[in-house]
Amino acid sequence: MSLLQVIEAGFGYEKQEIFRKLNFQVKKGEVFCLLGPNGCGKTTLLDCILGVRQLNAGKILLNGQDLNTFRSGQIARHIAYVPQSHERTFPYTVMDIVKMGRAAYTGRFSAPSKLDKAIAKEALEMVGLFHLRHRPYTQLSGGEAQLVMVARALAQKTPMIIMDEPTAHLDFKHELEVLETIVELVGDSQISVIMATHFPNHAFYFENKKLPTRVALMHDHNFLELGQPSEVIAEESMKTLYGVNTRLISCATGERSELKQLVPISTIS
Amino acid sequence: MLLIISPLLCIFASLFIGRYPLSIDEVIRILWCKMAQLPCEVLDIKQTIVWDIRLPRAILGALVGGCLAISGAAFQGLFRNPLVSSGILGVSSGAGFGAALAIVMFSSVSSATYIFAFAFGTLAVFLSYIIGRVYDTTPTIMLVLGGVIVSSVFSALISLLKYVADPYQQLPAIVFWLMGSLATARYSDIVAAGLPMLVGIAGLLAIRWRINVLSMGDKEAHTLGVNLAVDKGLVIISATLATAAAVSVSGIIGWVGLVIPHICRMLVGNDNRVLIPASLSMGACFLILVDDLGRIITGSEMPLGILTALVGGPFFVWLLKKTKGGNW
Repeated sequence: MSLLQVIEAGFGYEKQEIFRKLNFQVKKGEVFCLLGPNGCGKTTLLDCILGVRQLNAGKILLNGQDLNTFRSGQIARHIAYVPQSHERTFPYTVMDIVKMGRAAYTGRFSAPSKLDKAIAKEALEMVGLFHLRHRPYTQLSGGEAQLVMVARALAQKTPMIIMDEPTAHLDFKHELEVLETIVELVGDSQISVIMATHFPNHAFYFENKKLPTRVALMHDHNFLELGQPSEVIAEESMKTLYGVNTRLISCATGERSELKQLVPISTIS
Repeated sequence: MLLIISPLLCIFASLFIGRYPLSIDEVIRILWCKMAQLPCEVLDIKQTIVWDIRLPRAILGALVGGCLAISGAAFQGLFRNPLVSSGILGVSSGAGFGAALAIVMFSSVSSATYIFAFAFGTLAVFLSYIIGRVYDTTPTIMLVLGGVIVSSVFSALISLLKYVADPYQQLPAIVFWLMGSLATARYSDIVAAGLPMLVGIAGLLAIRWRINVLSMGDKEAHTLGVNLAVDKGLVIISATLATAAAVSVSGIIGWVGLVIPHICRMLVGNDNRVLIPASLSMGACFLILVDDLGRIITGSEMPLGILTALVGGPFFVWLLKKTKGGNW
């Protein structure tokens, strides 16, 4: 059975339709990439899956059960969220932030237990930031802070993590670090990841790492195409999706492994 | 431990401070025989000063200071803004209006002043909440706007009442009330205002770790599994009960609800599990000490609202320089 099933989903604001009749499912241990231009509704769709917004039409099934029957505490035990950009207000320590991932398992009037602390510690070790645990997270670099957000999501111990452009604002290396962490999670822990991204090459990266990867191209209120990266991401579809002329190249990254890359050439004016 | 002991020490110390000198021996004897209900060999006037004037005043000061500081700390977390104070949702202006209204209606400060102040203080927060409500949620920014609107309307109404008040009796009463004072503290005040204050304090202490999660912002708090309506509501109700009760017995005492939480952030960090109790304790100590200062530096009573800022300001600057801003 699919972990997540989205059936005939539609959402719109009063005068503006965002998407309609979307259908897809996400299985265990799978990466699901959402591609599409700015403002196409990727974040809105993710918000609906997170229960932050309600669909106008259709339904979302989580483990076969209608999402509307879940309370926020229950959703948080199924789906964790890594925000696009996290506004850092108070200088909490890194450990304090990761411990907040345990809120769904902690009573309203209590604080994280020893067990919660151990789980938070484990999550920090997984992203390789345990040595920073006592540092105020406001002092970390953007990439480190994003990995802290990933650790917080891991501490939620959910079968699924939703990431909204997790590599936005990150430098060359940190971007790769986040991607490598995702590969570990999906490959080793069989977590499912839904990821909105601006880079078609991210999908190729996951495919090249032998992860079950699917891509949805969001265009004109619906999915233009949905399938495996090498089937879907092509020069023609990118022209429709972004209005960009591209060239698909492939480079050897080792014996019998080659990484496809999409190179942008020019915009269509 | 230190958090519990230090306010008690401050209360005890303030029993000696004032225009009438008392020895340690005398104070302890008075406390002992009053509590054991034995006859006292100390002068009656000394008994009255310690037991009926200084002690209730110190206890009330501790409660009021603690309430203002703990609510300020909670609101700073909830609103994700370190510049917020306990009056952000209009409770102070509302209470000020209530008190002024009672003074104009009944021509003097009476028990109606407390009741009106408390009622209008809570009403102001309720109005802010209603204004901030969009669809079925209450986004934080809308709540702040609601608070700003309600505060300014009630401030205007206070000015209106001052304008129409009798300038010889009512106007000075209003002005003094607004400047804040603990001078009239009696045990009956503590009993009347103590219940909402303690309920509010208990609520904030209980939910304090959740304030960490709420300070991640609405969307993230939701995805972390927080029921926003319930948890935000509990924080607002608790902080409002505490602040409205505090303001209604003491008048408007600014500064404590803004700066004490800040000082605590520098000293103990930002984890609300520690910050909330620390603010409670530090707010209590601060107000007792400032009140002690207020009754010894001049011949007449110096209003508290003036002194908290005059004492707190330089102290805050000193601490800012010393801790280099504490990670801000």
